[in-house]
Amino acid sequence: MLTAKQNLQETIKGGNPERFVNQNEFLEFVYEVPMTSYCPGPGTEIVDEWGILWRWPEGQLGPFPVHDAENKVIKDITEWKKYVKVPDHYKNPDAWTDAKEHAKQIDQNEKYVTIMFFPGIFEMTHSLMGMEDALMGLYEEPEAMHELIDCYTNYLLDYAKVLVAEIEPTAIYQHDDLGSQISSFMSPDVFKEFFLPSYKKIFSFYKENGVELILHHSDSYAANLVPSMIEMGVDIWQGVMTTNNIPALIKEYGGKITFMGGIHSGEVDFPEWNEAIIKEHVDRICQECGKLYFIPNLTQGADVSSFPGVYEAVTAEIDRISKEMF
Amino acid sequence: MSKVEAVKALVEAGKSKKVADAVQEALKAGDKAQDILDAMVASMGVVGDKFSSGEIFVPEMLIAAKAMSKGVEVLKPVMAGDSSSSLGTCIMGTVAGDLHDIGKNLVVMMLESAGFDMVDLGVDVPAERFVEAAKENDNVVLIACSGLLTTTMPALKEAVQTIKAAMPEMKVIVGGAPVTQEYANEIGADGYAPDAGSSAAKAKEIIGA
Ligand code: B12
Repeated sequence: MLTAKQNLQETIKGGNPERFVNQNEFLEFVYEVPMTSYCPGPGTEIVDEWGILWRWPEGQLGPFPVHDAENKVIKDITEWKKYVKVPDHYKNPDAWTDAKEHAKQIDQNEKYVTIMFFPGIFEMTHSLMGMEDALMGLYEEPEAMHELIDCYTNYLLDYAKVLVAEIEPTAIYQHDDLGSQISSFMSPDVFKEFFLPSYKKIFSFYKENGVELILHHSDSYAANLVPSMIEMGVDIWQGVMTTNNIPALIKEYGGKITFMGGIHSGEVDFPEWNEAIIKEHVDRICQECGKLYFIPNLTQGADVSSFPGVYEAVTAEIDRISKEMF
Repeated sequence: MSKVEAVKALVEAGKSKKVADAVQEALKAGDKAQDILDAMVASMGVVGDKFSSGEIFVPEMLIAAKAMSKGVEVLKPVMAGDSSSSLGTCIMGTVAGDLHDIGKNLVVMMLESAGFDMVDLGVDVPAERFVEAAKENDNVVLIACSGLLTTTMPALKEAVQTIKAAMPEMKVIVGGAPVTQEYANEIGADGYAPDAGSSAAKAKEIIGA
C-alpha cells in the first residue's frame, strides 16, 4: 500500500493513486512554531505583535480585527512607516523548543512537516488598516502599498530563514483569502502587480531550502488567479469552492497545480449537520472531479471543523467513496 | 466632452481627488445640480453592472463610490431643501452575531448612489434595533439586512420576522453570501439580490419606485 505521502505524489503528478488523498492526511501541522498571538477563546481580546487589536466577542465563531478610527494600526497609508513596528519575537531560540520537539517526531515517510502561515500578505494589509483602506490603497496610493507589502515580505523572508534553520519544514501552508464566494477581491492584474512577486520570492526561497510542497489557502472564488498561483510556485490550492467549476480547472491546469477542497464548510459544517448531507457533498464532488489533481477536503482549511464531528464524518465518507471508486 | 460627462467619467474611474473640482466647474458652466447628480447616479449604475458581471472588482467599486460621495458633498448645499430626488430612507445593518461588513458597505454605497437616504446601523445589529431605527427616522421605506455566516442565518430570519411583526407594511431586503432567493422567500423577506451591483435595482423594484 502507498503511504499517505506517496499517494499524494501519485495524485498531484498524474500517476496511479490507490485512493483519494483524504483531506490533510499527508500533512502534520506543527502549530507550536512562534506565530503572532491569537485570541484564546470567546470573550477575550489581545493586541498582537504588530499592534493589531483582535476581539473575540462572546458567543461568536471567531476573532475579528478591530478597525475603528482609534484602533486601526495604519491610520494613513502614506505614513505607514510611522505606525508599523516589525516584530522579532521569532528570533528568540527558546520560542522554538516545542516546535522542534514535535517536528522530530513526525514520520516523514507518511507526512510532510507542515507550517501553517497566517496572515497572508493581502490579509496582513487589511488586518493593519481595514479591508476598505487596503483595497482602495492599491489604486489610490500604490507606492505606499508597494512599500508596505515589501516590508511584510522581508519580514516573511527573515522568518523563513529562521524557520528553515530551526525546523526544516517540508511543506508550507500559506493562508491568504483572496475573494468572496463568487469573485476575487481584486483583478488578476492587480494581484500580479502587488502580490505575485512577493509570494514568488518567498516560495522560491522555501523550495531552495528543503520545502517540497507549497499549499495556498483561499476558500473563495479565485479561478482567475490560478495562473498567478502556478507562477508563484503553489503546488496545491486549498479551499477551492465549487463556484470555481473545479472539473474545468482540473482539465485546464491539472499537472501544474492540484485543487483541494470542494466540500463547502458553510453547507456541511453547521449545528444541525448530519451524515446524509455530508455523504451527498462528498459523493458529488469526488465523482465530478475524479482521481487526479484533486483532493476532497472541507474548504475552511486546517484539520478542524467549527462543529464537533464534522471533520471526522467527512474523512469517513471519503474513505467509503475511495473504496467504491478505486 | 461636456462638463457633466467629465464628472460621469471621473466617478466611473474612481478619481475621488478630481471629482469635486469637476462638479464645481459643471455648476459654473450652468449645469443643473439635479442633472449632475443624475449623471453620477447613472455612472454608479454602470459600475454596479460591471461589478455584477465580473468586469470590475471590489476596489474599483469602492473608489467609484468614494468619488461619487465627494461629488455629492459639493452638490448638497446647492440642493439643500430639495428632496424630490430622494427615494426615501433605508435602514441597513449586518445581523446579530455577525461582524462582516464589506458586502454591507458596498450595498450601502450602491443604494445611496441610487437615491436612498441611508442609515447604516453597522454590524452585530439585534433584531429590535432595526425596528427602533425605522421608528426613529423619517420616511423609512426599506430595511436591508446582511448576513455572511451560515451560523447567523437564524439571526437574519429573526430580524425579518421581528420587523414584519412590528411593522407589517415595511419592506425588507436581505442578502449576503449564504443567502439565496429561496431562503429569502422562506423567511418572509420582500426581496433578495446576489450582489451590490443588482441591489439597487431590486430595492427600487420592492418599493415600487
Ligand atoms: C473578508 C472575510 C473576513 C474578514 C472580514 C472583514 C470585514 N470588515 O468584513 C475577517 C478576516 C475579519 C473575517 C472574520 C471572520 N470570518 Co470571515 N470571511 C471573509 C471572506 C474571506 C470574504 C467575505 C467578504 O467580505 N466578501 C466580499 C463581499 C464584497 O462579498 P459579500 O460579503 O458576499 O457581499 C456581497 C453579496 O453577498 C451581497 N450582499 C451582502 N449583504 C447584502 C445585503 C443585502 C440586503 C443585499 C441585497 C445584498 C448583500 O452584496 C455584496 C457585494 O456584492 C469570507 C469567505 C468567502 N468566501 O466569502 C469569510 C467567511 C464569511 N468568514 C468566515 C468566518 C468563520 C469568520 C470568523 C469566524 C473567523 C474565523 N475564525 O475564521 C470571523 C467572523 C466573526 C464574526 N462573528 O462575524 C466563514 C463563514 C463560515 C460559515 N460558517 O458561514 C467564511 C465563509 C470563510 C470560511 N472560513 O469558510 N472574515
